[in-house]
Amino acid sequence: MSKESVMLIPCSGIGKVHGLIGREAVFKVKGELRPQDTDLACLAEIVTQDAEVQERMNGRLTITVDGCPKMCAEKNVRLVGGEIFASLRVVDAFRTHRGAQAGSATELTSDGWQISDELADQIALKVDEARQGGKGNG
Amino acid sequence: MVEVKKVGIISCSGEECAGGGISRLAARHVLESARPGRTVTICLPLFLAGGEEERYFARTFPTITIDGCDKRCAMRATEKLSGQVTQALTVSELLDSESALAAPFSQRQLNGEREKQIAKVSAALTEAVDEIIGKPAAKDLLTPTTPPAGIRLL
Ligand code: SF4
Ligand code: SF4
Repeated sequence: MSKESVMLIPCSGIGKVHGLIGREAVFKVKGELRPQDTDLACLAEIVTQDAEVQERMNGRLTITVDGCPKMCAEKNVRLVGGEIFASLRVVDAFRTHRGAQAGSATELTSDGWQISDELADQIALKVDEARQGGKGNG
Repeated sequence: MVEVKKVGIISCSGEECAGGGISRLAARHVLESARPGRTVTICLPLFLAGGEEERYFARTFPTITIDGCDKRCAMRATEKLSGQVTQALTVSELLDSESALAAPFSQRQLNGEREKQIAKVSAALTEAVDEIIGKPAAKDLLTPTTPPAGIRLL
């Protein structure tokens, strides 16, 4: 059982709907589904290799959520020594929603919220696995 | 037809406090509604990773950063890649530290108060864009800046 809460880091995607879906999914996990078991940090702070955030991330089990194959959250968390327990991709959450009109980088449609909520459920399950000492796929 | 330069807006989009969400939504508002066609953006982590596309962005556009708090991650990251930013705005200065450092919010929780905050920040951002390239006049037909082949602006 991991004593420390699990860090959740969504990417900061601002150009397409995928970034917003990941961001909202993470906020749902932190705000509603697993508030006590999770923590957030700003990706931009990690990217700038801020000493304080580096210390917080060091060796900490982390779940990243990325909006596109550039995988900015996963890559940057690794760079500051975070331990990736699971790396999730918003594009995978779209697989069961082919042709969905999810909205834009500014606003989600009801399809977009549904995809985001399903992703949040997946993240919450990963948080449980991490807390129970699971192996993860990072 | 008047060739109009574009301004790059880099938002920190911080996930840990309300200021980051406000910076993101204010940037989106300017890009989409207040100054569409005159502003462009790129994801901050990608910008700092500094591939060909990002170097094009840094070389081509004067840049305004909008940060959630006084850690100013977007400003610091941008300066690392492209030198001086043209203007650096911070939500904690435009509003106040308490609002900026409040808990992050989902867009499901947007309310009148939050929308006012976002409007105030996007007004400052719009003003900063206009200071760089001038207020758009109705007679000006905007010519989009076309990136070279293979470069896709996000
Ligand atoms: S992973 Fe893709 S969408 Fe997310 S910040 Fe990086 S470039 Fe943007
Ligand atoms: S400037 Fe503040 S809110 Fe924005 S990413 Fe950095 S620490 Fe987070």
